[in-house]
Amino acid sequence: MRTQLNSHVKLLIVLAAVNIVIISILTILSPTFMTYGNLSSVMQRMSELAMLAIAETIVLISGGIDLSIGATMALAGAVSGILYKLGIPLEYCIIAALLSGVGVGLLNGFLVVEMKLQPFIVTIATMTIIRSIVYALLQGNVLTGFPAKYVDLGYVYIFKIPLLFIIMIFFAVLAILLLKKTSLGRRIFSVGANENTAYISGIYVKRIKYFAYIASGFICAAAGLLFCIRIRASIPDAGINAPLEVISAVLIGGTAITGGKGSVVGSLLGILAMYLLLNGFSLLGLNPFWEVIILGIILIYVVGQENISKNIKGLIVNIIKSRKSAAKASLSER
Amino acid sequence: MKNVKQNNYASRFGRSLWEVKELPIILYVAVMIIVFSFVIPGFFSIKNFENISRQITTIGIVSLGMTLVILTGGIDLSVGAILSFAINIGGQGIILGWPMWIVYPFMLMLGFILGWINGFLTTRIAVPALIITLGTMNIYRGTIMVITKGKYITPIPTAYDFIGGGYIPFIIFAIVLVLFIFITLRTKFGRNLYAIGGGEVSSLYSGVPVRKYKMVVYIVSGILSALAGMILVGKSGFIQPQAGLNYDLNAIAAVVIGGTSIFGGSGSILGTFLGAILMGLILAGLTMLAINPYWQGLITGFLIIFAISIDSIRQMRR
Amino acid sequence: MVTVRNVSKSFPGVKALDDVSMTIKTGEVHGLVGENGAGKSTLIKILSGIYSDYDGEIFIDNSIIEFSSVHDAQRNGVATIFQELTTIPELTVAENMFLGREPMKFAGILDFDRMKEISLKTLSFLDADIDPSVIVGKLSIANQQIVEICKALVLNSKIIIMDEPTSSLTEHEIKGLFPLINRLQEKGITILYVSHKIDEIFEICDTISVFRDGKHVGTKDKNNTNSNEIISMMVGRSLDMLFPERESNKKNLVLSVKNISKEDEFENVSFDLYEGEILGFAGLIGAGRTEMAKAIFGASRIDSGQVELYEKSKHFNHPQQALSNGIAYLSEDRKGEGLMLNLSVRENISVSNLKKIAKRFFINKKYEKEIVNFYSNKFKIKMVHIDQIVESLSGGNQQKVIISRLLMTESRVFIFDEPTRGIDVGAKYEIYKIMDDLTQEGKGIIFISSELPEVLGISDRIMCMLEGKLIKIFNKDEANPEKVMRVLTGGEAT
Repeated sequence: MRTQLNSHVKLLIVLAAVNIVIISILTILSPTFMTYGNLSSVMQRMSELAMLAIAETIVLISGGIDLSIGATMALAGAVSGILYKLGIPLEYCIIAALLSGVGVGLLNGFLVVEMKLQPFIVTIATMTIIRSIVYALLQGNVLTGFPAKYVDLGYVYIFKIPLLFIIMIFFAVLAILLLKKTSLGRRIFSVGANENTAYISGIYVKRIKYFAYIASGFICAAAGLLFCIRIRASIPDAGINAPLEVISAVLIGGTAITGGKGSVVGSLLGILAMYLLLNGFSLLGLNPFWEVIILGIILIYVVGQENISKNIKGLIVNIIKSRKSAAKASLSER
Repeated sequence: MKNVKQNNYASRFGRSLWEVKELPIILYVAVMIIVFSFVIPGFFSIKNFENISRQITTIGIVSLGMTLVILTGGIDLSVGAILSFAINIGGQGIILGWPMWIVYPFMLMLGFILGWINGFLTTRIAVPALIITLGTMNIYRGTIMVITKGKYITPIPTAYDFIGGGYIPFIIFAIVLVLFIFITLRTKFGRNLYAIGGGEVSSLYSGVPVRKYKMVVYIVSGILSALAGMILVGKSGFIQPQAGLNYDLNAIAAVVIGGTSIFGGSGSILGTFLGAILMGLILAGLTMLAINPYWQGLITGFLIIFAISIDSIRQMRR
Repeated sequence: MVTVRNVSKSFPGVKALDDVSMTIKTGEVHGLVGENGAGKSTLIKILSGIYSDYDGEIFIDNSIIEFSSVHDAQRNGVATIFQELTTIPELTVAENMFLGREPMKFAGILDFDRMKEISLKTLSFLDADIDPSVIVGKLSIANQQIVEICKALVLNSKIIIMDEPTSSLTEHEIKGLFPLINRLQEKGITILYVSHKIDEIFEICDTISVFRDGKHVGTKDKNNTNSNEIISMMVGRSLDMLFPERESNKKNLVLSVKNISKEDEFENVSFDLYEGEILGFAGLIGAGRTEMAKAIFGASRIDSGQVELYEKSKHFNHPQQALSNGIAYLSEDRKGEGLMLNLSVRENISVSNLKKIAKRFFINKKYEKEIVNFYSNKFKIKMVHIDQIVESLSGGNQQKVIISRLLMTESRVFIFDEPTRGIDVGAKYEIYKIMDDLTQEGKGIIFISSELPEVLGISDRIMCMLEGKLIKIFNKDEANPEKVMRVLTGGEAT
């Protein structure tokens, strides 16, 4: 008997267990792993990617996909940096950056909803467009010179936990509440599960899709700002590998590519696992790129595992069937 | 034989000339050339066109393979990774001192194997090609980094320059182009690719070997990626692990801009070729106008959106 | 000659074919009629090679057949022209005709000349004015159908099955189809012609077989029977179906539909719905009932005409508007539009009335649970837990989930579109009871169904629709199966 709760919880437990296993192994193998310095650095680094994962989770649950997450992140950094250089007060730069993310979301939403284009290609296109704007704005340069009070936030710790991490957790909690506890969240799941049914059931499908992309744009912009704070600069290549890794992690975390199913917690656990592996590999002096390989293998396995076992079963059934009919044929020939 | 129209315009390729669906993209290319030629002195020159062609050969070859995959309704995000894998891992042979006549086939074979893996996973596991090739892209790139440890392979013996020098890349590109045009217009395999993309179930019912043909296109895509990589090595004189970055994106862009539907079942090799040319023209034009080359992405993105909007309208009309 | 012997096939919950035996003579046009769900399409799918798993035997020309696939069936001379055409839009006529069996020169190169030659020959044999190098997507449906027939000819088919061939054709095109069929006959091809249009059957077929509830009721020679007899065979059944005792409960006028039309779907439909009544809509495929219902519900547009709710004119542009005004719609496409398969029972039920359970900002899970439990107990939905995934429930229970969703909206008008399709008898009765209870509460119900017995069994009035038009209205007492079926199949109503 399959309840939603059961399989959902099961997956989360598996993911948590995997993370625990990784942590245990690393603790044993590396003396520097379980140190405050290392752990807080991991928490810091994964904050932005975790934010991107939150954004992507929302979009995937709604039945879409957003490949422009990295580019939007870079855009926020570029916009805030350029405006600040032009002398605009920091607060307004931040607002402008967040608005730029909303703008990207609006663009994506428009193309997907009104023009009815496939989200995959659309967001590839917007990704190239936004990335190109970022390059043009920054002229390919790294932008530094943010005010100290701003970038020093990267050194702030609350109860020993990096502020940036806490901000990410804040977004995560908001997202979880939204998705699981509000009617808006229900509607997002419904649209992703079956657009037609959602429509017939009275849901304004278009509005929900717009929301998903705009929320994604906003969160990615926020992630971009966090990134700037952390590296104390705005770089044109920010987030360039993000879509790959984030989407892989989110899918591994239990969110379905087809929509209607997913969890922020799962995505975060996926990102965590990814980062722990990365961290562990570099601590152990192993080539960190093993993480990417493992990611790819797990991705294919997780998304395909139902079908893999179905396929194997089907193969066996077919073999038995063809033996049966061969026997039948030879019988009837007599 | 009463009342049956005889087709007076049947071209050599068995279909009417008036149905050339590449008409729009041909027009765009023509318009672009004309506009740029007026605005930019020196644009309309053999040297310039040579340059442009040089730029687009490697991505062009990969795009041709991608076209076949997309025609069947699939997609291959790992082409850049396969390119890099073939030349980097194959390049280990250079380091080990293997002769060229072993290294080259080795590289092509790697492309074959990686393409085979893509095809196998796509046809056996009911997971969208999108995710499969996303995963294999990761796996292949990661493996490259693990084996090469991020090191460049240089210097490369000058023998390897041959394939990348002079007109050789053009010739290779031209051969593949003509071959593919021929295959997609005149052979059972080629026409069946359109069938699979346009109606997989119907094709299956009619006895088209869907699974086998899908495997073939992924293998071909892999081999072509390796081939493009070989040319790249010839041109640049070194091998870097990050080779082939953005090839996947640009190949898909060329295919889509060239009028092939992302859903499969319609489009053409010629269209992709023209799409690649269009992208090349724009890049060259921008550079010559001293417009920030960073704007190239913007234009590519808009072209893609424009192309798929047109495709979407066509689909809706039906 | 095709001989079907003791063939049965079941699906979970329903016996599609029940010990069917019949013979189709070589070279005849054999008509197959029956209501929706009578088993016709299952038999077709077996003959076409789509289903290879069935009981019983089928012989073609006295040798037993066992098709492992559609391709296998085609190789053995059986071709089917389905209602949903299987042409590939982007390929040419000639390429479609030869799909999978293309003549080649060497090295896989297509022999276009030969393809063109044979195409032209085949097309002219059928007197068709089609250019073989035209892309099929540009042709009309009728011509695409001709291409499919040509494909069957190119395959050297001995048996061609046509499934509702005229459902998408104009009058004129239908007139063009019959000479074509005669040509095929001249070639010695056997044709199985499935249709619900009785007059067509009588015009083109030599023999007529009737199916009912999965059984083969009988086969008659065209000249030895008439439409009345055929209709009786289609509908006549021991009425062992149970319906709740109903008393007429008619009160105020709730919904008034005036001359609504939508191009290509329905035309000038007008009717009134009263509180407390069940208004049945009978019709066969393509009658336009679902399209009409969806348009009233706001899921699609009405080109012209009015809808009045309690005498106030309403224009619904979105289902939400209809729901807010108290009109609810149960879709006939349970999997495609009725359920969100991988969500839970709870989520499927509450989706249309989230406002009720989310008063402030957050969903009150406890309250939601109460409501969901209320309905699942009331309708006895067999499940383990309200968080169970809806996909794992049986058809009848799935339907109850959707009905619960509708009831939770506390609407005043309910449109049930094929509510008992694919559901076992016991669950069917429960749904009839639910509808009856609703009328006791003063709700108005529009009941669309293709199963004549239930339309007749539970409706207060019966609307007969044919090809988008409302042809006749029967009162409960003046209706009987034959009368209604005659109207639905285009005959004159007496």
